[in-house]
Amino acid sequence: MDSPPLGQGFVLEGELTPLPQLWSELWQSRELIAILARKDFYVRYRRASLGLLWAVGLPLFQALVLAVVFSRVVRVHTGSNFAVFVLIGMVGWTYFSNTLSVASTSIVDGSGLSTRIYFPRAVLPLVSVIANLYGYSITLVITLALCPLLGVGLGLHTLWIVPATALAVAVTAGACMVASALHVYFRDVRYLVTAAVIGWFYLTPVFYPLSLVHGLLRAVVVANPLTGVVELMRAATAGADADWAKTVVVSVIWTVLLLGAGASLHRRFNRVFTDLL
Amino acid sequence: MTLPVVEMHEVGKRFTKYEDAPMLVTAALRFRQRTRRSSLWAVRHVDLELGRGECLGLIGRNGSGKSTLLSMLAGVTAPTEGTVAVRGRVAPLISVGVGFHPELTGRENVYVNGIILGMTRKEIDSSLDEIVAFSELAAFIDTPVKFYSSGMFVRLGFAVAVQARPDVLLVDEVLSVGDLSFQLKCFDRMMAIKAAGTTIVVVSHNLNAVRIMCERTGVINAGALVFMGDTTEAISVYHDLLGEARHLEGGHLKDSPARVDGVARFEAVELLGPDGTPTRHLQGGDRATVRATIHFDQAVCEPTLGVGVVTESGGPAYSDSDRTVLSGPVTAGSVVAVTLSFRAALVTGSYTLALGLGEGDRAQVGTSAPLAFFVSSRPAADGVADLEGRFGVER
Repeated sequence: MDSPPLGQGFVLEGELTPLPQLWSELWQSRELIAILARKDFYVRYRRASLGLLWAVGLPLFQALVLAVVFSRVVRVHTGSNFAVFVLIGMVGWTYFSNTLSVASTSIVDGSGLSTRIYFPRAVLPLVSVIANLYGYSITLVITLALCPLLGVGLGLHTLWIVPATALAVAVTAGACMVASALHVYFRDVRYLVTAAVIGWFYLTPVFYPLSLVHGLLRAVVVANPLTGVVELMRAATAGADADWAKTVVVSVIWTVLLLGAGASLHRRFNRVFTDLL
Repeated sequence: MTLPVVEMHEVGKRFTKYEDAPMLVTAALRFRQRTRRSSLWAVRHVDLELGRGECLGLIGRNGSGKSTLLSMLAGVTAPTEGTVAVRGRVAPLISVGVGFHPELTGRENVYVNGIILGMTRKEIDSSLDEIVAFSELAAFIDTPVKFYSSGMFVRLGFAVAVQARPDVLLVDEVLSVGDLSFQLKCFDRMMAIKAAGTTIVVVSHNLNAVRIMCERTGVINAGALVFMGDTTEAISVYHDLLGEARHLEGGHLKDSPARVDGVARFEAVELLGPDGTPTRHLQGGDRATVRATIHFDQAVCEPTLGVGVVTESGGPAYSDSDRTVLSGPVTAGSVVAVTLSFRAALVTGSYTLALGLGEGDRAQVGTSAPLAFFVSSRPAADGVADLEGRFGVER
């Protein structure tokens, strides 16, 4: 039997949600994702004093600390403006790590909603992916605005920020779809994610240039799905590593793998996640 | 050609229960081969068809599978076997105000909730005034809902759900919240959208609500649809089940003195309505009769007949006894047919009745199986007994 469009009824036969149907349901849920994401972002910062400042201020502050520590104390040589170098890396990294931490528990946290009404469950992690895009955009704009002040010129190459953002969103979405689905079944995934994010940070060239690592460590850093995102963001600003194209290819491959794994998990469990909530 | 709005065919749902929460770390390290688990069929072999504008009641004891069935109608969970088809927009009132966020204002929540229910932004724009009017929250619509009372919460949630113009409305115990006047308003609105073609499925322990709203009712027991048809009959079937269950649980009436078993047995206990036919459904004020036969396995010197009626919550409604009707000692081996005629001066609700036999007032020597029945009375009367109050005004 053919399934009617979402919100216009359904036919349930077995537990699988065929991929084309999953995709079309997700597409039809875009307004839902948008409004939930706006609510998410709004609610998170409405109550805190200084509101939005926290969303933007924290990653900038962290970047500042890193910039001071690694340019004055450790003296890392990047060959370009170190402040911008760290700042732009932090923008990408913060988006990914914040989103993954929230999104991995999103299906479980959203049980109040999902046990009562149907919508494709992938909406829940995707809401975090979109909601965090607000904070990302603001910090990105501030960072770009700071560039000329810090002596980094903007120009046509700054347009690299567009594919960089697209790649960041796609790889984050893939990781979030996988983690959120796994967390429904394995409730220790949230801790594993927290632990992984801590270690992951040091394996991502946020505060050091790729050229500084060698041997096995370099292979690991290049294989890191986020290295490509960070390098692409550098290409738009402070200048990327000579090997940046390679890291971007690796990131794209990771994105495809993660989105594929996420899709197959959601295809299998979309309609039965609530049984475990 | 009109297809049924709701169609269930051979539907079964099996749940797997994990004894201990699975952990990715242990699974990955093969620390333990497999998590201990057990599975059970919450619902099985259910067939159901509902047309436009029909209102179906679903009743059954706790854990019988009602909610599982409703979840599948909402599309929240998929059946393990069989097919569920719903044609049209579903609005579950399983718990109103689904997705309301305390920090957002009433107005903002209406948008979030409406979109969740499948409305478009435009639809919400155009029906916002009506939603606000129906919920009677005009003065508070821009206040964060965390400052709302539970009644206000429900009012807003209900207003959005009905305004979503669903093709199927799933109602789960929603009528038990809010004040009476709002309940009546909800009820009117549900009847109105039903008249406009919305199919309604009501799950409730409030048999009276089911009786008023639904022409057809299904009884679910242990995951199976054991009865489907006329609501009055369904309520009788449900009370048969309730009676059996109380019997199995060893349920007996309170304040029994010392119980002595093996003296007398009650058999063939039945409840007859005013027209003399067996029933489980009485109208308030009806004269009804309980009939039973007592088999005496031992002699009883001072046979005393007793009766006890308890309410749904187990509280005593009525008890009485008579030591004159079975005059004198009864010898072992005798069989006596007894009757009890009574007036069901009770308010609407479920009751359980049992007959008892005493040896004077010293010992209880026999109890009948409990008999559950339903009384429908005037809607305004509440409590236990219907004293048939009549209000008047003196000038």
